[in-house]
Amino acid sequence: MAAYFRPTTLEEALAVRAAQPVTVLAGGTDVYPIRANKVGWGDMHRDDVLDISAIAELKEIEQTADRLRFGALTTWSQMRRADLPEAFAGYQAASRDVGGVQVQNRGTLVGNICTASPAGDGIPCLLSLDAEIELASARGRRTVPIQDFITGYRQTVCGHDELVTAILIPRPPAGAVGDFLKLGARRYLVISIAMVAAVIAADDTGVIHHASVAVGACSEVAKRLHDLEAALLGQPLASAPDLIEHAHFAALKPIGDLRASGHYRDSAARDLVRDLFVRLSAEPKRRAA
Amino acid sequence: MPKVSMTVNGQAVSADVEARTLLVDFIREQLRLTGTHVGCDTSQCGACVVHVDGRALKSCTTLAAQCEGASVTTIEGLAKGDDLHPMQEAFRENHGLQCGFCTPGMIMSAVDMVKRHGGKLDEQTIRHELEGNLCRCTGYHNIVKAIAAGSEAMTSSGRVAAE
Ligand SMILES: Cc1cc2nc3c(=O)[nH]c(=O)nc-3n(C[C@H](O)[C@H](O)[C@H](O)COP(=O)(O)OP(=O)(O)OC[C@H]3O[C@@H](n4cnc5c(N)ncnc54)[C@H](O)[C@@H]3O)c2cc1C
Repeated sequence: MAAYFRPTTLEEALAVRAAQPVTVLAGGTDVYPIRANKVGWGDMHRDDVLDISAIAELKEIEQTADRLRFGALTTWSQMRRADLPEAFAGYQAASRDVGGVQVQNRGTLVGNICTASPAGDGIPCLLSLDAEIELASARGRRTVPIQDFITGYRQTVCGHDELVTAILIPRPPAGAVGDFLKLGARRYLVISIAMVAAVIAADDTGVIHHASVAVGACSEVAKRLHDLEAALLGQPLASAPDLIEHAHFAALKPIGDLRASGHYRDSAARDLVRDLFVRLSAEPKRRAA
Repeated sequence: MPKVSMTVNGQAVSADVEARTLLVDFIREQLRLTGTHVGCDTSQCGACVVHVDGRALKSCTTLAAQCEGASVTTIEGLAKGDDLHPMQEAFRENHGLQCGFCTPGMIMSAVDMVKRHGGKLDEQTIRHELEGNLCRCTGYHNIVKAIAAGSEAMTSSGRVAAE
């Protein structure tokens, strides 16, 4: 019979993590469904379980002058209700559409990136916000930029003795506004065919001075569109939808699967980015609601 | 085997359970409260929704051991004796069910919805919030009507603040 650990401090958790292979359990909304094939998630006979959900120090959201820190147990519900800068409006919009209220009450932002699914809705949001991931082990702490944290299909750099402790996001530039759009086969409870997150800042005259745009579900790991971002800088925000070119999407390698063909994803990604730019340029302020 | 202790529908319960026991299995098999249903086993359908510390969640995504010390409310905990909860009454009045399998989860989600929105529920909000609850026979119309009516009844009977 496998053991079950439910420590209340990070230090104890890291000691357990260092001592044996364990399945890390946060909200459980990915761990359970992937094992629900009636063998039950019977792995527990083999792997011990490290339930981190009782570690109070991982539950805080902290805002300081230069950055925001989301503890590893921050749930989608906490995210959607938090009072955050306008640049987070996209991440908050994504959090309203992840799996329904009951899943949002349990599922964590960090569990979403550790699962590292190409369709993980939080990942393009974090890319657009230049997030860093903080990891801890008995050996010490380190931070890794989000684009280096996820290395492939369901693969991350999180070591066997490590836990992710927080998501760190630098305070976005003045006037930055974020947005997120997801396309699925239906409106609700759906895995994304493609999604886009962007953070754009324009000055008083409407000229773009910061742009980050990321697309998910169109490559193994969600990608920033650096060429598109470069094309936006110095241009009027109102012209953003017209500046999109096919070549800006060269970084994506959409595959065909049961949800959509590669060709469909390719054109859907462009349409989503255009729709998002239209929204951002039409109403640059107030999108939190 | 971990020992878990929690409060279920106001009563203290405790038992030794295998660590991997899901909350829904604990509720159904150990406590014999079979109003909470298992529809899909993949956290999609919402038939197993209960409240844990005042929050709606799918009890098939949670280990019983993760609810140590928590206060759990199941569908059986809503009625006061023979008096149905206003939301249960609204489902009956509006015929918000056909086969009834999804109903316990629908009602638990509905009560949570009203509590969070303070009784000001329009149709669009109700439909969005029902994202996590699937019904395969009603077509949802009467469920939405029932929730709107239940929301008003909860507000006028003062139950929104009380729970
Ligand atoms: C019905 C349903 C609908 C869903 N819809 C969506 C959706 O629309 N979009 C979407 O992106 N996702 C969706 N999901 C997936 C899921 O809810 C999210 O990915 C969620 O954020 C996972 O978080 P969790 O805390 O539940 O993770 P868990 O299931 O607890 O863990 C997930 C993985 O991360 C690891 N892990 C967790 N925390 C840490 C840590 N601190 N350090 C190291 N490893 C860790 C675990 O070991 C495991 O491998 C859905 C799930 C369900 C059941």
